[in-house]
Amino acid sequence: MLTTQAELTRREQVAPEHYLLTFVCPPIAEQAQPGQFVHLRVTKGLEPLLRRPFSVMNVNLSQGSFQLLIQAVGQGTQILAQAQAGAVFDLLGPVGQPFPLPDGAEQVLLVAGGVGVAPLIFVAERLKEQPAPCYVQGLFGAQTEDYLCCWLEFSTRCDEFATATEDGSAGEKGLVTDLLDKQLDRGGVDRVYACGPVAMLAEVARQCQEQQVPCWVSVEQRMACGVGACLGCVIPTRCEGSQHYQRVCREGPVFAAAQIDWEAMSPELDRC
Amino acid sequence: MLVASGTFGFGEEYAELVDISRLGGICTKAVTLAPRAGNPQPRIWETPAGMLNAIGWQNPGLEVFLEEKLPTLRQYEVPIIVNVAGETRAEYVELAARLDNVAAISALELNISCPNVEHGGLQFGVAPDLTEDLVGAVRQVTDHVLITKLSPNVTDVSAIAQAAVAGGSDALSLINTLVGMAIDVEGRRPALANITGGLSGPAIRPVAVRMTWQVAEAVDVPIIGMGGITTAEDALQFIMAGASAVAVGTANFVEPTAALSVIDGLIEYCRHHNVARITDLTGAAHSGRQ
Ligand SMILES: Cc1cc2nc3c(=O)[nH]c(=O)nc-3n(C[C@H](O)[C@H](O)[C@H](O)COP(=O)(O)OP(=O)(O)OC[C@H]3O[C@@H](n4cnc5c(N)ncnc54)[C@H](O)[C@@H]3O)c2cc1C
Ligand SMILES: Cc1cc2nc3c(=O)[nH]c(=O)nc-3n(C[C@H](O)[C@H](O)[C@H](O)COP(=O)(O)O)c2cc1C
Ligand code: FES
Repeated sequence: MLTTQAELTRREQVAPEHYLLTFVCPPIAEQAQPGQFVHLRVTKGLEPLLRRPFSVMNVNLSQGSFQLLIQAVGQGTQILAQAQAGAVFDLLGPVGQPFPLPDGAEQVLLVAGGVGVAPLIFVAERLKEQPAPCYVQGLFGAQTEDYLCCWLEFSTRCDEFATATEDGSAGEKGLVTDLLDKQLDRGGVDRVYACGPVAMLAEVARQCQEQQVPCWVSVEQRMACGVGACLGCVIPTRCEGSQHYQRVCREGPVFAAAQIDWEAMSPELDRC
Repeated sequence: MLVASGTFGFGEEYAELVDISRLGGICTKAVTLAPRAGNPQPRIWETPAGMLNAIGWQNPGLEVFLEEKLPTLRQYEVPIIVNVAGETRAEYVELAARLDNVAAISALELNISCPNVEHGGLQFGVAPDLTEDLVGAVRQVTDHVLITKLSPNVTDVSAIAQAAVAGGSDALSLINTLVGMAIDVEGRRPALANITGGLSGPAIRPVAVRMTWQVAEAVDVPIIGMGGITTAEDALQFIMAGASAVAVGTANFVEPTAALSVIDGLIEYCRHHNVARITDLTGAAHSGRQ
């Protein structure tokens, strides 16, 4: 992890309130692993004061760049959504534990909800680049077709791909977890990686446990320091039956789904 | 130049990013006798130029601190100030006694802004008699330098400061966080699970400078000033109000090297104004008042 600066070179609106930002920052491009995030200062001033965490969506090693997919939900993300190319931001990264990628060629199922697709695009890319490439199945859910952000970036990296929208405007009408249910029933899945709203992750975790498929999820929490010092970002986890808190910025953001105490997780952070 | 308790963990979290050896010392996260899980989420909430926190003393307890955290902290070769917290007088005394023969630490910082269960939840640090009694009891069991950390949530901070000094405190640190609250209007509920939390960051600086000024007029022991320091100019305000040392807290979260930038800025100020030692400026504003 290092503190560095990144120059915004491109900003593109990809859906209502959703922006794809490209930054040049060679050390992050080189070091970031799928699932890790950058902790970004959106302003040099005091408003907003705290840094904002965003998952790395992909990297381009030859250009020394990386991309973030950002949903404008409040003051900090609004500033990023309006930033101009050439703007320079302070950032801390890469932060956190990445998804533990398999050594061999496995069948891996990726479950993305909304803006949660970002880290999974990076995962899919690395799974296909492995010496023994994995068979990658992607499932992507959003409210409507418009909100299937960067679905092309996702689908082109998957061997199989399906979408679900709540209004049926694209793919199956319903939730992405309905698709998951069918896939798991079919069998053959070696592991599942998921990122999205808490309610979705809890359902993914439940299904995977039922089918005894190992599952890892990337979770969100409000953060201050991003380095493990403030203990603001913890989530409830279970270890040998006893409950204790672990830091999303240090032990996470990727956790084995079975480790998380889903009943104690508050859906308060859900936006989708 | 210190880093404030609870904002720098046990040092290891920042070791990768900050040249810790340049700091004047580290105040650890609060250490309690037994491990504490801390409060449920949400624990933090951002506010204008500040933040509310209700972490709830999450820490691994005294034993793990001594066995695991302290050896790591020692590697940075800076003074270690252990922030101690308890729910009863006996807990504070036991903590202090067990830390007394630990040579690796430079000082104890008594965190007295904690609920006192024996007195129906009243905080030790809000009543002069409780403060003096607690500091006195701890003083009896430790030869370490004893720093009492004052709460700003009091009517008369000078009276508490005097009580801590009467109890035997060698120095005072202030301020701890101001009790505050925010409402999550979408959820129509308190923003923090704990309902209230401690406000920190630039927003509280004027209050902290004022209290440093008042305490400097009331007592003769060294003061460690803190509350919203992000720049050298902020630090100078505390020093000129009467602080002999300063601590950076919330600003560490914003910029891990914040304390180092403040040091650089203070050196620059001293050079520019021909000040031999930064402590020559301690209390300078008291003589300069109109
Ligand atoms: C590990 C991690 C990865 C993330 N990746 C992405 C991503 O790739 N794309 C994306 O759009 N968003 C992502 N988020 C969520 C993003 O950090 C928040 O949406 C953002 O901080 C909101 O800031 P704001 O100022 O716009 O909102 P405000 O509502 O003004 O923020 C107020 C405070 O709440 C915090 N906050 C609000 N919502 C969230 C949330 N859902 N998670 C964490 N903190 C929150 C903010 O950081 C801030 O401290 C991620 C969060 C985490 C923890
Ligand atoms: C997240 C957080 C945790 C804190 N934990 C402690 C603590 O354990 N013990 C303590 O005495 N003060 C604690 N404090 C208070 C700080 O040490 C400091 O007194 C206060 O935040 C004011 O300084 P600042 O505005 O520079 O942060 C904490 C502050 C924050 C923001
Ligand atoms: S954000 Fe501070 S511990 Fe995770």
